[in-house]
Amino acid sequence: MSTLTKFSPIPYTGPAPTNREPYVPAEASKMDARGAEIASKVGGLAQETGQDLPTFVVEKERIVDVLRSLKNDLQFTLPLECFGVDYPDRAKRFDVVYQLYSIANNERVRLKVRVGENENIPSSAPVYQGLDWYEREVFDMYGVKFDGHPNLRRILTHENFQGHALRKDYDPAQRWLLTEEGVAKIIPKIDPRFEREESDSDYERVTLNLGPSHPATHGTLRVVVTLDGEKIVGADTEIGYLHRCFEKMSETHSYQQVIPFTDRLNYCSAIINNVGYCMTVEKLLGIKAPERADYVRLVLSELMRIGDHLICIGTNLVDMGALTNFWYLFQPREEMYGLIEACCGARLLPSYLRIGGLAVDVPPNFLQLTQNLVSSMPRYLNDVDKLVRTNRIFRDRVEGVGPISAQDAIDYGFTGPCLRACGVPYDVRKASPYLGYDTYDFDVPIADGGDTYARYLVRMEEMRQSLRILQQAIDRGLPSGPVMVDNPYVALPPKEKVYNEMESLIYHFKLIMHGIQPPVGETYFQVEGGNGELGFYIVSDGTKNPYRVRARPPCFSIYQAFAKMITGQTIPDAIAALGSLNIIAGELDR
Amino acid sequence: MTVAQRTYLPQVIQGMFVTLRHLLKNLVNIKKLPTISYPEVKRVYSERFRGRHILTSREDGTTRCVACYMCSTACPAECITIEAGEDQRTREKFPVRYDIDLLRCVFCGYCVDACPEDAIYMTRDYEMAIDTRARAVVGLRDLVVPPNFPVEPMGWRPYYGDMDKHGTAGGTGLGQPLRSAPYEDEAAPNPDVYRGT
Repeated sequence: MSTLTKFSPIPYTGPAPTNREPYVPAEASKMDARGAEIASKVGGLAQETGQDLPTFVVEKERIVDVLRSLKNDLQFTLPLECFGVDYPDRAKRFDVVYQLYSIANNERVRLKVRVGENENIPSSAPVYQGLDWYEREVFDMYGVKFDGHPNLRRILTHENFQGHALRKDYDPAQRWLLTEEGVAKIIPKIDPRFEREESDSDYERVTLNLGPSHPATHGTLRVVVTLDGEKIVGADTEIGYLHRCFEKMSETHSYQQVIPFTDRLNYCSAIINNVGYCMTVEKLLGIKAPERADYVRLVLSELMRIGDHLICIGTNLVDMGALTNFWYLFQPREEMYGLIEACCGARLLPSYLRIGGLAVDVPPNFLQLTQNLVSSMPRYLNDVDKLVRTNRIFRDRVEGVGPISAQDAIDYGFTGPCLRACGVPYDVRKASPYLGYDTYDFDVPIADGGDTYARYLVRMEEMRQSLRILQQAIDRGLPSGPVMVDNPYVALPPKEKVYNEMESLIYHFKLIMHGIQPPVGETYFQVEGGNGELGFYIVSDGTKNPYRVRARPPCFSIYQAFAKMITGQTIPDAIAALGSLNIIAGELDR
Repeated sequence: MTVAQRTYLPQVIQGMFVTLRHLLKNLVNIKKLPTISYPEVKRVYSERFRGRHILTSREDGTTRCVACYMCSTACPAECITIEAGEDQRTREKFPVRYDIDLLRCVFCGYCVDACPEDAIYMTRDYEMAIDTRARAVVGLRDLVVPPNFPVEPMGWRPYYGDMDKHGTAGGTGLGQPLRSAPYEDEAAPNPDVYRGT
């Protein structure tokens, strides 16, 4: 009997998807009611009903006022993101979508501003600092201009790039060459705290490039700093060196084919990206993965989270000269990748999940291997903790380095360990549990100070909490049953059926050639990634390719604040702070 | 911080003990070191490893592939190029050209999942170093294996359901052997490595 997919020999009797059905989210009526409540409190909102979040269409003139009153009156303090969607057939072709989150009330809201091709829209960066880069990205990708934006230039593509890549009428076959002259000459703005007359000092100020290829940046990040002696008096960051058109490519590939692309977002915790993407599409399809698949997803997510933190702490310590810890931490990570490889045949980029479940069932000794890992992991963590936690050399290097206040962190849209290091206990696994996280007993670690040391403590404790979750999961045991939904419009039939039955062969052929066709609509779903809230926003037009896939990269918000965090500190401090933020360029630049 | 912590030395000495313990442990258990002396010793990967592809053959020596383009459609990296031909005698379709660009390939295994003919498998062969880009494009000559080629301990392949029989975790280093037998001691030629003629 196949454990792969319970596949009945009689043809599937459920409804066949007709690919122009509208998507009706399960929680639509609840969200509509909450939306009406919000609309009654804030003026200028035209509600859009039948969505998975309270959704409003706002006139572009009013957007800043609306955002301000949502932030001040309704406590939507955390700007999740701002992105565009292009509908070329409409008179006002672009949707600029804002998503906000309220930590106090644990709710989300989505605002849409419709703009035409040559229209400008007022910048909301004065309301939320964190929307600064997101608006630059909308400008870069769609050409929507933001009035009053402090620094509206391209962010992911380079200066010689012509056109706006995510517009539907942009031809992706074009190649744009960046010449020496085109490279942005970035001169950081001097922080007002360090303004001085030229004659005040004997020393000249020096502007220095850190990166994009610098061993301490762990990826292609460019930081330009102006130094006064050893002190950084102004900093600016430049990103986009690893931009691989994830969102544009997703629009030309089928839903299943996007999964290997999501691996390459945060490549240190690839399975979590898979989980986020697959669960978003499953939400759009209105299906739920079987219990066994959910269990495996949870176990592998937690392992990947541990792996992500191991890399972050390990490399951060290497940057500070503590190489030994790197080896102690990479050994369990290596063994973890061995387990992932045993499940799906690849280590770093597993592509293990499929929409509707898993690619194949886990190996028979899966739980045993996980137990071995969980039992051996604390030893390594304790070794490292013993080496550095109370070590004064380390403490002097990290305490008070790269600090950010809780208020600033929220305003920048921080999520994940970096936000929790400021003392804000926001964790998607607790706030909106998925995969059954609510049935597990674990704590959300927080720390005070928001500095590099606090981030170290939070990550270290989070790994221990993940081990706790894993131990509970192992004790519960692997649920029996299939690992893939029993729906031939989503899941490939098992191979023995494909070889021997006409019906299954047809389903197989249809699914490969015509793909999964979700109903028409849009949805957003979020998971707790290694660095914070990883969300996917997907628009479906009923065809086999997604109309728009938007990944909400947690690094993007965090890296935005980096320049501010290091101003007033020294270069070694900047390196230590950068390592502790765990910026993954693959996710940052997509 | 306590006084002991504020003075560097106790902490440094304590740290030294941790590293010393590791050193001694490794010296005693030198055979269980987590590192491998590659390429003399090779790591064994699991039976699901997604390495270089092969195309299987029927008993009569013809390739199983019927050039249905399912794998190239499913490929997210668009690395498979197929040209179909027709056998004048049997009216069967077969590939005249079947190229995989291994530099484009992302080794996701979608081609294996998509194949309705049991024709494409992935091996555990991960040593694919080449010196020119052109050699990264492997064609029928490199991919097709002879009939009855032993596929059992191979990498990612279509699963027939029974997971207890297939997909044991090969080399995770967790209670399983991490290293293979030394290269020269291997009795049989490695069935995973097949490089055409």
